[in-house]
Amino acid sequence: MNPASTQNNALREFVDNLKSAPRRMYETAFRGGAPTTDRSRSTFVFGNVFLHLHAVRTHRWSLKWTTTVGLGIMSLSAFLITLVTGVLLMFYYKPSPEAAYASIKDIHFVVPTGRLIRNLHRWAANLMVVAVILHMARAFYTGAYRPPREYNWLIGIGLLVTTLGLSFTGYLLPWDQLAYWAITIGANIAQSPREVTDALGITEYFDPGGLQRLLLLGSDTVGAEALIRFYLLHVMILPLALAALMGVHFWRIRKDGGMVRPADADERLSKMKQGETYPVFTEAPNKTYQLAAVVRGKTAVVGRGPENTVPSMPHLFYAELGVMMLTLLACVALSMVSDAPLKELANPSVPENPAKAPWYFLGLQEMVSFSAFMGGIGIPAIVLAGLALIPYLDREKEGTGEWFGGPGGWRLVKLSMLIGFGAPLAIESFAIRFGWLREWFPKIPQLIVTAINPATILTAVYALYSIWCIRRYGSARSGALGLFTCFLCGFLLLTIIGTYFRGPNWVFYWSPSEWPKH
Amino acid sequence: MKENKHLLLFSSLGVLLLLLGAAFEEMVLKDWRRIQGRARSDEGAVTVQLRQIVNASLGVSDRCVSCHVSMGPGEQGVRGDKILVAHKPVVHDPAEYGCTVCHGGQGQATDKEDAHGKVHFWPSPMLGRETSYAGCGRCHATLRVPEQEQMRNAELAFERLDCLTCHRVEGRGGTIRPGGGGMEGPELSRAGLKGYDGAWYGKHEKKSAEAAAGPWKGAFSRVPADDQGLLKIYLDTRVAASRLVTAKSVFFSYGCLGCHKVSGVGGDDGPDLSRAGEKDPGQVSFKYVPGEATMENWMAAHFRSPVSVVAGSQMPPENISTQQLNQLTLFTLSLRRDELRDQYLPKDRARAVKFGEREFATDGATLFGAFCAGCHGQDGQGRRLPGLMSFPSITNADFLALAPDEFLARTVREGRPGRKMPGWLKEGGLRQEEIQAVVAHVRTLGGPAEASTKPARWVSGDAAQGRRIFESACSGCHGKQAKGGEGPALNNKVLLESATDSYLVETVSRGRRGTAMASFLEPSPVRGALSRAEIEAVVAYLRSLQGGKS
Repeated sequence: MNPASTQNNALREFVDNLKSAPRRMYETAFRGGAPTTDRSRSTFVFGNVFLHLHAVRTHRWSLKWTTTVGLGIMSLSAFLITLVTGVLLMFYYKPSPEAAYASIKDIHFVVPTGRLIRNLHRWAANLMVVAVILHMARAFYTGAYRPPREYNWLIGIGLLVTTLGLSFTGYLLPWDQLAYWAITIGANIAQSPREVTDALGITEYFDPGGLQRLLLLGSDTVGAEALIRFYLLHVMILPLALAALMGVHFWRIRKDGGMVRPADADERLSKMKQGETYPVFTEAPNKTYQLAAVVRGKTAVVGRGPENTVPSMPHLFYAELGVMMLTLLACVALSMVSDAPLKELANPSVPENPAKAPWYFLGLQEMVSFSAFMGGIGIPAIVLAGLALIPYLDREKEGTGEWFGGPGGWRLVKLSMLIGFGAPLAIESFAIRFGWLREWFPKIPQLIVTAINPATILTAVYALYSIWCIRRYGSARSGALGLFTCFLCGFLLLTIIGTYFRGPNWVFYWSPSEWPKH
Repeated sequence: MKENKHLLLFSSLGVLLLLLGAAFEEMVLKDWRRIQGRARSDEGAVTVQLRQIVNASLGVSDRCVSCHVSMGPGEQGVRGDKILVAHKPVVHDPAEYGCTVCHGGQGQATDKEDAHGKVHFWPSPMLGRETSYAGCGRCHATLRVPEQEQMRNAELAFERLDCLTCHRVEGRGGTIRPGGGGMEGPELSRAGLKGYDGAWYGKHEKKSAEAAAGPWKGAFSRVPADDQGLLKIYLDTRVAASRLVTAKSVFFSYGCLGCHKVSGVGGDDGPDLSRAGEKDPGQVSFKYVPGEATMENWMAAHFRSPVSVVAGSQMPPENISTQQLNQLTLFTLSLRRDELRDQYLPKDRARAVKFGEREFATDGATLFGAFCAGCHGQDGQGRRLPGLMSFPSITNADFLALAPDEFLARTVREGRPGRKMPGWLKEGGLRQEEIQAVVAHVRTLGGPAEASTKPARWVSGDAAQGRRIFESACSGCHGKQAKGGEGPALNNKVLLESATDSYLVETVSRGRRGTAMASFLEPSPVRGALSRAEIEAVVAYLRSLQGGKS
């Protein structure tokens, strides 16, 4: 061949390559081609870095709306919304006491769509707290913490704490009166071990409360140090921690065999009307594409036929995207209706009265009003420890995968709700009407008040009730059902009291209109 | 499995709809879009767009012209709605200066409530009609403003002398010559800013003498020297904002600067007022303020009764009319400050900041009104205020007779350490010649000092005897070791250093009429008389306190 024709060939090849570049770019990006067959659907899932945390096939039971109510995805979606809007807000936000408030004003009034983005951030954050708590309740009531998912339950508790931390640290950033005094209250809650060390007279030598507060604020009062700490926690440390925990959480779902379901799920499904699905094994391939995942314990697919599974692509993704869009819809709608609050510039010399913590801590603040140590540290620690212990104390099998499954079931939960609401209502009414030890015996040692106060009595009532449940039904699950229901109800009730019925100096009022004018 | 698909479809559509709705609201329903939609210029409809005035030097980017279109650059002819009208003619063309520089409010907002700053927690809402001149204070500092009586007299003189026949001031007066040719005399609204011919009176007289007929002959007559002084005050303070200047003269009449500093001059007992007009309504309490939560109402209520608006305030309520109260409010609101580039630094502010010219006139009466009247009273007769030691009368004839000028000047210069009276030279920021002017003014209020040939220190009494006498006769009022009680402390370093022996001896001997201090040469129902020698012993004792103290 002469050099000229070689050159011509090379040139032609180059032109051909150039022509086919877009097509090949597409092919390299979407390797499996359009996901039209089971095989290509599977490749679509495990070939994609974002989707491969999912199994390629999903059990029908998992797709039932009543199985999860979409709460996990809702939490994730809310997080994603806060992530995107949060990064956008960071373009304008300046974390210094002099500039923070003005930059929020700018975001609110000047930055195009800034108001909407800030509202979205705020609503998604609140929705995330609600969704995470409800998600935990769903996991509990369907027994999803049972083996092999115990560890994921623990990760979930970590996620709950991190979510509250994220929300709390974000609260200070606007640097307005609301933020300033809410964080002051929050920091004082962190300092509550002092109640005990003060009572013992050892604060001088051993002051974990003061240390906690100091670590949180970086100084004695809420100021520039606290702002930069909260900012860093809010935009860097806690989101990274949350992302890491989420990664583990999702990965564990996959490893633990997907969503929890009853042992007889397949049987029950066969009795139900089958929804239309995309054809299974359409191309009649000569081998199966089921992934033999190496997982511990019994799993959804190993050793069983894939009858009741459907390809994750598209069935699972419709469901997930659907919930995501629904979450976004809720956030956008709320953002258009209600603006995120922004009060006047923080003023350390003018305390808000009542100064209230963020709403999800108002239950704690209510308990703190009885005893700082018990409300701020003691009872939250007991609750967290109790939640963490649930999967290790309840080793039963009955009712796994079913709502309110276990001895007693829905009836027990209803009774527990009665106790869960009734007990705190009674104790609060008594304390509000008649006062407590400190009012009756002004000189009583503080340690006695710390040990015996409405909050500890409520905790004791719940614990005793739970023990009664265990004896009555002969089942640890029943005890857990009782205690968890009581905890949820108590949390709700105390939060409502703290939010709506506490006025200046944390005095009880039927409505804010009765608050003294000055 | 269709449900999930539908869920995705409908929630996505929902989000899309909401976002479209938001976009629709932003792009179609906005007030400024509808207002501009009605607007017409000579060429027909105007382009509907977000309009703004940008002036980087002033830090302004005001979108107010999105509704007030005709106030924008090159948009004078736009009409079609009341809101579109052009600004009335002003020196500071809004097309260049923007709106918020003078009026306040949030220039970057694009709906009415936010832009006018009437929203909750907005730090600098728009100034109201009544207080709109307060905006001038952001850049301007009118100089040499006298206290209210002189101001009033100056205004009256200008009217009384019929200057308005030929001259126009802020829309009044001035005869327009028939058939064009403008006014008889130049417009004087801004004489204080632009400057004027200092030899105007001589020229007026000359022209009047030369004229055979016409306004120079008929409308001009001789002006007495006193009135010429008043006219000078009047002209110096013409800055096209007479309401603000009058308000400032009221501020310089109630001794506000005795306790408050403005631009580095004044006492330290109250808060610095240099930027009091920028107070954020979100940062003050409206609990005891009647009416709408505006700074105007807050200040009015505060001047009426300071302690009921600001808990613990020691500021005395003044007995003033509602008009004066509103004037004080207007002036206080004008206490704003902007860091201006030289290009925009007005002459008056430059003269005040760079050359140290005073915003108050430096005659004795104005200085007394601005710095002394708050504590020593309008006529220097002293004052008793709840919770405070009484402030002495400084125009008492007995006192002035014994107090030489140097004693008064030194007292003003150095103050009374430990009491409310600050040292006006260093702490208060007054100058030597201003202090001299105050002393001279106090003389005109009270009376002259007696001539004395004695040296400053001549007493040679027995201090130990004096102490015994002091404890029986004086300490009832002046306290143990003269530390003060109902009567003033006498162990004060500056007092003892500046007071001559004659002053002390004669004050004890003659007493001070109008006060609790009686003549000690005369017996009273409760004590016997003191002899001259005994009085000198007491003074010797006081002198011994000075030695121990200083």
